[in-house]
Amino acid sequence: MSSSKQTSAHSGTWKRWVTTQNVVVAVVIVLGVIFPLVVDRPRFWLPNIGVRTLWMGTIAMSLVFLNKYVGLLSLAQMTFAGICSYGIGYFSVTMGLPIIPSIILSLGVGSLAGYITALIAVRTKAIYFMMITLALSQVFYSWASQAIEVTNARRGIAPIPRPNLGFIDLNDITTFYYFALFLAVLSYVIFRYTAKSQFGLAIQGIKDSPERMSALGYNVNRYRTAALTLAAFVASIGGVILVFDRNQVDPSFVSLDSTLNILVVAVVGGIGSLGGVFIGGLVFALLQNFAQDFTDRYMTLTGLVFIGVLLFFPAGLVGLGPIIRRLFSKRAKTSASKASSDTPTVERRAGTHNKKGQHK
Amino acid sequence: MPTREIAIALTDVDKRFGGLRAVKNVSLEVRAGERVSMIGTNGAGKSTLFNLIAGVFPVSAGSVSMFGSVVTKQNTAKRARNGLARTFQTSRLFEQLTAEENVFIALGGRGLGWRSLFPARSIERKWNRVAELLTTVGLSSESGRRVADLSHGEQRQLELAMALAADPKILMLDEPAAGFSPAERQQLVKMLTTLPSEITLLLIEHDMDIALQVADRVIVMHDGSKILEGTPDEIRASQVVRDIYLGGGHA
Repeated sequence: MSSSKQTSAHSGTWKRWVTTQNVVVAVVIVLGVIFPLVVDRPRFWLPNIGVRTLWMGTIAMSLVFLNKYVGLLSLAQMTFAGICSYGIGYFSVTMGLPIIPSIILSLGVGSLAGYITALIAVRTKAIYFMMITLALSQVFYSWASQAIEVTNARRGIAPIPRPNLGFIDLNDITTFYYFALFLAVLSYVIFRYTAKSQFGLAIQGIKDSPERMSALGYNVNRYRTAALTLAAFVASIGGVILVFDRNQVDPSFVSLDSTLNILVVAVVGGIGSLGGVFIGGLVFALLQNFAQDFTDRYMTLTGLVFIGVLLFFPAGLVGLGPIIRRLFSKRAKTSASKASSDTPTVERRAGTHNKKGQHK
Repeated sequence: MPTREIAIALTDVDKRFGGLRAVKNVSLEVRAGERVSMIGTNGAGKSTLFNLIAGVFPVSAGSVSMFGSVVTKQNTAKRARNGLARTFQTSRLFEQLTAEENVFIALGGRGLGWRSLFPARSIERKWNRVAELLTTVGLSSESGRRVADLSHGEQRQLELAMALAADPKILMLDEPAAGFSPAERQQLVKMLTTLPSEITLLLIEHDMDIALQVADRVIVMHDGSKILEGTPDEIRASQVVRDIYLGGGHA
């Protein structure tokens, strides 16, 4: 018994790292780094596909974090990003503050918006939480469309040029792309780290059984508030990329369309996977740019892709990973069973045993 | 024996759910370190009374005190922080996490500060305590398994480990032996009888053997009211209890 335990512990050390999630992350980061080197027209691909994927992915990731670890579906994430974008426009253009303090202040304002939303919505859950976040985001949209002294109403604040931060010049599109990639990976690391922290375990506990967490002495609402504020902070990071991608900010940033686009990105990528949202973002950005080449009704095509993903890959495109793996292990299983028909079924179920069987 | 302080006191407690009066005018006292079993048929109001003590439901009338302070208006989390731990009649565990992570959460359950952002794996002292608690309830070999994959009996054992993790002054167990095999029942009795003497134990149990073996005093509930209170021997000899359980006229 002890030897079998040792074997499983040994294989466990590397197996623990080779999870679907980690494979997706590694592939996405490698693709992200080599992307500017392999595309034929960087001036088109980097802003329209690359950077757009990154800000949509980062904002959608904050939605996925709340859904996966806290069990709350927030439709205000795009609004938090938009509030941060407005902040950068207001502080740097309207007030004339230097860019770095403007960015820091705006991240704070975006997070504060998350905190205030949490104070209002945190006692509700499921569809009620979703409706409150949607309502609050619409309140902000309506305010942003009219508050001429702050947001310049429908015209928005423009231009907001990409700055030279001193140590890097974001005017260069490749540099800006890598800056966006860095922020997206940083956001991902923040969430993965948080999930493994004591706080992360606690919020996962709250997702599974809030009653039990209360009985253990946890203040459930304070934890939910902290998680929502953190998610708003990361959405705000997405807002930083977004505002410098568009070089302006206007009410369309926080419209219902934009809010729903982020939800579509999260669902298409995989609502249960932090890394998968970037695949969702990429598919969405590609559809936005190229669907018009095939049809005038590109929104219809986007909708059909969305329905197709929901029907065939309910776990999102990230769900393709396990499906492909199962297909391969099925094939391996068939050949393994041909090779040795007396192998016990339990052993044949595990992929590693199949390989061993094949080698033998 | 010196008189010990009163750990739990209920005074004229009533609980109504709409037209249903689930708990009727119940008063009781449990002294610190005492082991008290609560018995009664299904629907007698035992679990409701538990939830009133734990603060899950507000009382409709009457008051609840813990160690001399009135806690009637306190919420569950506050009462838990004052030393009250409980298990639930149906397991309420964190199914997506492992057994040891569940106990870890139960250990950590206090304030929300910067320390809670430390990686969970880095706090060796806590993980040692987790291992100890899992051994106490006989689950050490299952520590790394996801709760959703544990058997019903194992989940009940885990519930116990989590309740003990808080180092409670008052431990309330709602049918801890439900779903246990005879061997697991014996292990549970052994564990409960060897609990530190300063822990006040309040137990709801349908298994009369366990309820009477563990308790110093037994409270009998029926139809929302406390109808009898006595030592295990008195309860064994009681005609009223027999009537309730065997349906002889009293009901």
